[in-house]
Amino acid sequence: MSKHLKILEFVLSSLLRRKIKNLGIVAVFSFVVFILASILFLTHAFKTESLAILEGAPELIVHKIAGGRHDLTALRYGDEIAKIPGVGRVLPRYWGYYYDASTGANYTVMGATEAPRSTLELVRGSFIEAGQRGVCVLGEGVAEVRLAGVNGTVPIMGADGELYRFKVVGVFRDLSALLTNDLILVAPEDIREIFDMPPDVATDIVVQVFNPSEVANVAKKIKYRFPELRPITRTEILRTYETLFSWRSGLVILMFLGALVAFGILAWDKATGLSGEEKKEIGILKAIGWETSDILALKFWEGAVLSLVSFLAGLIAAYAHVFFFGASVFAPALKGWSVIFPDFRLLPYIDPYQIFVLIFLTVVPYIAATIVPSWKTAITDPDVVMRG
Amino acid sequence: MDFRRWMIGAGAVVLALWLSVPVLGHEPARPAKRDRCPVCGMFVAPYPHWVAVIEFSDGSHAFFDGPKDMFRYLFDMAKYTREKTKADVAHVYVTEFYTTQLMKVSDVTFITGSDVLGPMGHELVPVAGEVNAGTFMKDHGGKGRLSVEEVTPSDIP
Repeated sequence: MSKHLKILEFVLSSLLRRKIKNLGIVAVFSFVVFILASILFLTHAFKTESLAILEGAPELIVHKIAGGRHDLTALRYGDEIAKIPGVGRVLPRYWGYYYDASTGANYTVMGATEAPRSTLELVRGSFIEAGQRGVCVLGEGVAEVRLAGVNGTVPIMGADGELYRFKVVGVFRDLSALLTNDLILVAPEDIREIFDMPPDVATDIVVQVFNPSEVANVAKKIKYRFPELRPITRTEILRTYETLFSWRSGLVILMFLGALVAFGILAWDKATGLSGEEKKEIGILKAIGWETSDILALKFWEGAVLSLVSFLAGLIAAYAHVFFFGASVFAPALKGWSVIFPDFRLLPYIDPYQIFVLIFLTVVPYIAATIVPSWKTAITDPDVVMRG
Repeated sequence: MDFRRWMIGAGAVVLALWLSVPVLGHEPARPAKRDRCPVCGMFVAPYPHWVAVIEFSDGSHAFFDGPKDMFRYLFDMAKYTREKTKADVAHVYVTEFYTTQLMKVSDVTFITGSDVLGPMGHELVPVAGEVNAGTFMKDHGGKGRLSVEEVTPSDIP
């Protein structure tokens, strides 16, 4: 053990002797780890977020399609859907997107019916009472961006060009910030007014199905009876999210393929040969009495020190990047349509499996690549090595 | 310690049942996390949409992970229990397919030969109401409709 400690000491001082070269390797290596780890963390965090969203999502959402586009859904469909066996409650939802010019962000404005309320947790104030008009409840993100607390006001420009002022009565949060950070709840009557919706329609209809194994069947029946409606099941949404995030993370990896290739070249350069100086060093060590196994231990420690330092630096940088700075480098590519989304923070989480994959992709090949050529040099006669 | 906690829990349940009986009528018991099906030995709680319950006159109950195993038990009680006989059975409940609520066996129709699989494979699926039974037969290709008295050991898939 003490022999290895001595070798480690020697390694550290010899690494410090070639500062510039080794710092270059550490920089490239950490950058590659940083990119890979950021992508893995971010994709994983997004997947966890979308799963958290789906936890509270309804089993089945139905909306009307007109000319292949989303259209407002007549409430009378709800009465028909409720007659299908296995269907519990059928609730209309009123919602829409609102672009707020003053903060430059897109918000989702939703009618405060029972449908969104079930998964929300109130932080301050109260929810909207039935029949209460001109008041709103904000998601935490919106409250922060608008600097609006309870009793503040939120102005919303209606479809008729009028400015509607909503008094804030409460602030809520959800398990997933991604979903509710841009959410403003108002009374259903108010939302009809600001979006100019006719009285007999809703944005979509949420259908409760008691038995999960019957959801697909109910969706099929709705589609059969009303071809103009589109039923969307929870599993479909889940699948879409999965594909979307996997596809996008692949895209980002492709963008940084250059960095990966550069790392590959670096490792290849290391693997194919040593510089004359390094060979000479090995020769001298052999000549002053080092065994071949000592040289291998030396090179192993050298590779281990370099790659572990770079790996940890890259990993820590990636963690900070994703979970403290909201992945500012790739978030626009991964987050979706709304680039001007209110700021959000992902739930920090590390999957040990991902760390192992990263180690096996970067640290292990690097150590192996540095040992093989040294072993070749170390088994040659020191005299030959030193003469070059 | 564990046993004492269990006793307190059981006491609370008994008390709650005793208090609720006159008010709510009769509410069937729900399986706890570690309750097993006496026929197949599987845990029952992970399959809330299939649970069947037999309540005995002494207040104890047996949970099953589907009506199929419940019928097996009822047809051959001597094989699965030594303490109870058919005379001890007070109430029998099954989970209705469409509402996923526990209902008395007398209130449902059992449908055989459908493509709906329970935790133990093919099942006698309990459906309440004539209309729903007809819909189920059409949607899931059932072969026969049986009331609880009509079910025989040969109907168990």
